[in-house]
Amino acid sequence: MTGDTPSQPRVGLVLVSHSPALAAAARELALEFVGGPAPRIAIAAGRADGATGTNATRVAAAISEASQGVGVVVLTDLGSAVLAADMALELLNGRIDARVVPAPFVEGLLAAVVRASAGDDVDTVAREASAALDPKRTLLPGDDGAAVEVAAPSEPAATPSAEVTTVVTVRNEGGLHARPASELAALAASFTSDITLTVAGRPPAPARSMLSISMLVAGPGTIMHIAATGDDAREAVDAISALIEGGFGEALVGTDGPAASVIEPQRAAESGALGVSAGRVVGPVAVLVHRIDEPSATVILAPPARRAAAGIVVDAMTATAADYRRRALKVEGHRREVLDATAAIAEDPLLVEVATAAVRERGVTPERAVWEAVGRAAAEYRAAGGDLADRVTDLVDVRDRVIAELTGTEPPGLPERDAPYVLVADDLAPADTVTLDPTRCLALVTEQGGPTSHTAIIARELGLPAVVGVAGATAIADGTLVLVDGDTGEVIVQPDAAAQATATGVITTAPFAGPGQTADGHRVVLSANVGAPREIARAVERGAEGAGLFRTEFCFLDRADEPSIDEQVEAYREVFAAFPGHRVVVRTLDAGSDKPLPFLTPIVEPNPVLGLRGVRTAIRDPEVLERQLRAIAQAASLERADVAVMAPMIATLGETREFAARARSAGIASVGIMLETPAAAITAAELCSVVDFVSVGTNDLSQYTMAADRMSAALAPLANPWQPALLRMIRLVGEATAASDTPMGLCGEAAADPDFAAVLVGLGATSLSMAARAIPTVGARLADVTLEQCRAAAAAACAAPDPEAARAAARASLG
Amino acid sequence: MTLAVAATNDWLRRFAQSVVDNEQLLTDLDAAIGDADHGSNLRRGTLAVVEQLETEPASTIGGALRAAGMTLISTVGGASGVLYGTFLLRMATSVADRATATAPEVIAALRAGLEGVRTRGHAELGDKTMVDVLAPAIDALDAAVASGASLADAASTAAIAAQAARDATTGLVARRGRASYLGDRSVGHVDPGAASTALLFAALAGALAETTAVDA
Repeated sequence: MTGDTPSQPRVGLVLVSHSPALAAAARELALEFVGGPAPRIAIAAGRADGATGTNATRVAAAISEASQGVGVVVLTDLGSAVLAADMALELLNGRIDARVVPAPFVEGLLAAVVRASAGDDVDTVAREASAALDPKRTLLPGDDGAAVEVAAPSEPAATPSAEVTTVVTVRNEGGLHARPASELAALAASFTSDITLTVAGRPPAPARSMLSISMLVAGPGTIMHIAATGDDAREAVDAISALIEGGFGEALVGTDGPAASVIEPQRAAESGALGVSAGRVVGPVAVLVHRIDEPSATVILAPPARRAAAGIVVDAMTATAADYRRRALKVEGHRREVLDATAAIAEDPLLVEVATAAVRERGVTPERAVWEAVGRAAAEYRAAGGDLADRVTDLVDVRDRVIAELTGTEPPGLPERDAPYVLVADDLAPADTVTLDPTRCLALVTEQGGPTSHTAIIARELGLPAVVGVAGATAIADGTLVLVDGDTGEVIVQPDAAAQATATGVITTAPFAGPGQTADGHRVVLSANVGAPREIARAVERGAEGAGLFRTEFCFLDRADEPSIDEQVEAYREVFAAFPGHRVVVRTLDAGSDKPLPFLTPIVEPNPVLGLRGVRTAIRDPEVLERQLRAIAQAASLERADVAVMAPMIATLGETREFAARARSAGIASVGIMLETPAAAITAAELCSVVDFVSVGTNDLSQYTMAADRMSAALAPLANPWQPALLRMIRLVGEATAASDTPMGLCGEAAADPDFAAVLVGLGATSLSMAARAIPTVGARLADVTLEQCRAAAAAACAAPDPEAARAAARASLG
Repeated sequence: MTLAVAATNDWLRRFAQSVVDNEQLLTDLDAAIGDADHGSNLRRGTLAVVEQLETEPASTIGGALRAAGMTLISTVGGASGVLYGTFLLRMATSVADRATATAPEVIAALRAGLEGVRTRGHAELGDKTMVDVLAPAIDALDAAVASGASLADAASTAAIAAQAARDATTGLVARRGRASYLGDRSVGHVDPGAASTALLFAALAGALAETTAVDA
């Protein structure tokens, strides 16, 4: 084999296109095929002002960018791209060995990427790119029938060295699709022998040509003949047959061996998997699907198959309608009406007729027919506006469920299971978890997310073990047994009996006796964050002294319209009633960002985290806030809880004044604000003068102070609450509240860390609100330390240079 | 009678002015057989050229033409930028760092530019491109100078020849560029590149006539 190393320079590639999007997409596609180190691919696309066009000076710059000193191959889309590339060579005046090749844009790029990453020279890369259309020409001869000869395995030598041959069976599930083909081509290129792959009914493919291999269309079970001539023919044949037999890391078909484990524990650890909520459990996987992929429009059924296919459409629509009715029986009132109405849509005679006609007459697949027919109805509803537009969500649900029924896949939304399961998703949005039943769901595993993402928060609230950042998790088949450890971040697929025995179920702690105070009697109110009525019982059970953060958006989330005042009163009363005599701090609607509400927040914002969210939505629509405040006041008057309200996302004194005025005129006795923007922290002294209390939201304050998206797994170190910058930001608030004798609460996730909670007390927090599960451990920790120790820990942590040092310094002070 | 740096600048400025004045016409012509951006593309490019010449005045003819050519290449964003840019860059190379150019030197430069466009665009006479105006206009200029006309008068002759050549592209079938996709359906329309090239020669005649007037 040739000695390819990552440090070896590669031929650079440049894409010249009229469209930046086209070039970027082509590059993304091509990079999926790279086996070895990727070559540099520079893009020169669009005009200097960003519009569609080409620009020769940018092409010249891109060639310089792509060059690693061993030549550059330039691929162009059409027209002036060719002229611009040609011009660029003139501008470079021979300084870089660049070739503008007459290659098809996409196929040429794929071929060039594979060759360049294999370390081939510029002549080879250029030649392979230029010949990239040949395999397709062979497969699809034109009208004149003049199929181009496939680049034949090189001329038989006059004195042929012995040919080495063998026969293998393609065993991997996906067959020799593009990625395996490119791995195979790269391996073949590392030998000097000429290697040919042959399957029945296709022209032989030179093994170095990824595209030729792809054109063999070798699916699992295909028998393939490998032939090699040359000095290293034996090694080449052995290596290639081993690669094909090995299945390219994919699941193997038709073997009795154990299925490959999708995620090894060590691999999960490497890929950034992070345990965010404690507990070690075993259960079968249920994957949450967020959307159904658009079915192909180009697959056309043969006429004899169409009648049966149309029948399948009718069956699927009927079955889906029956499923809606079955679910309707399980619920009451409005929800039952909605499900019954949706069932009627699913078997609407006109819809059935349109979909079946598309199958019968045009031969589209059943799923495509449903996609189009319901999609058209949805567009009409949307255009009609009013009540009809509100039903669009239902139509989309019908469409997705019928298609899921047709294709045998899971419909979007929370999986419906009667038995316990481990929920696996790419990521969880608040709306996904509204109906999550913690008695059935054992654990959460997501591909995205960091320690303070919504998944982590909901998991801690519900006391479920959770691991985030698990790459490839959604590829685990439904029903596969997994072991999830929310402490270590382990996710073991198909754990053996020994591993299963290590699962301990959900960790439980003794109830907290309360009230919260330090060893020297300094009172600290310990309350629970509550986001939905189902969490109340757990909060009470864990000894919460009220709710320091009652997130009202959960009452709004699964709806297309605003709940009426009466509905809101009912929902709020349920929470207030659980805490008679205790304080319940209601946060007004915090819509926007990761919690969009269709009736309140813009559908599309370029940067929702910095957009119209929290109290800012009241700028656009003060009525929603007014009605909510009235509902809270009314609910409070009917229950015995000590009710306060606070506004999220306050940035200015003006907003604070306006909110306080609205709340007081609605009849709210105690009015406060969330301190979660740096702007509010810096001006806390002024803000304190117009409210009764403040509550620091560490999640958002951290995200805005560190300028790091808290949903990002990659930025998790920045989201660490021990960052000295965040601590000092909280200290600013503590100083302002102490000076004005304003109570300072804290309701971020960070309060659940016992040491951090002590530091917060040292910074001036008079109450801490956290996930109910954490109250006992935090209460125990505070009972162990004095206020003086807390203050010393706070000072030491604030002075530390980094999060690790801050935590260590705090621990040292706390003893 | 020669071409000076000032007249070169004036030529490029006049070209920009007439492109701006005729933007809609050029765009309409392009709309018929292309993608309706020739007017706006060339306006953006030529205005950038004017700005460039004002920001960094060139001291040689070659310097002015080179700066103009590079500016067109980097700002127009279509084939016309590359082709006009090539034309001016080749002219620049031909006249090099002269402060004035004689009639034969101007003709040689124009021919070098024409050759550049031909090579770059793979276009020949009759392909319904700017070559169909460039070649006859330069031939006319050459013939007029050979028969003893002043450079200014010869440029006027070339401008008239350019207009005639532009109109003659109506009958041609496009074989290059976007218009070639239309095949026979491109017949009956003036080629937009030919139209803007005619403006280039009108601008040259205007600039040289102005010089003559000042000389007199």
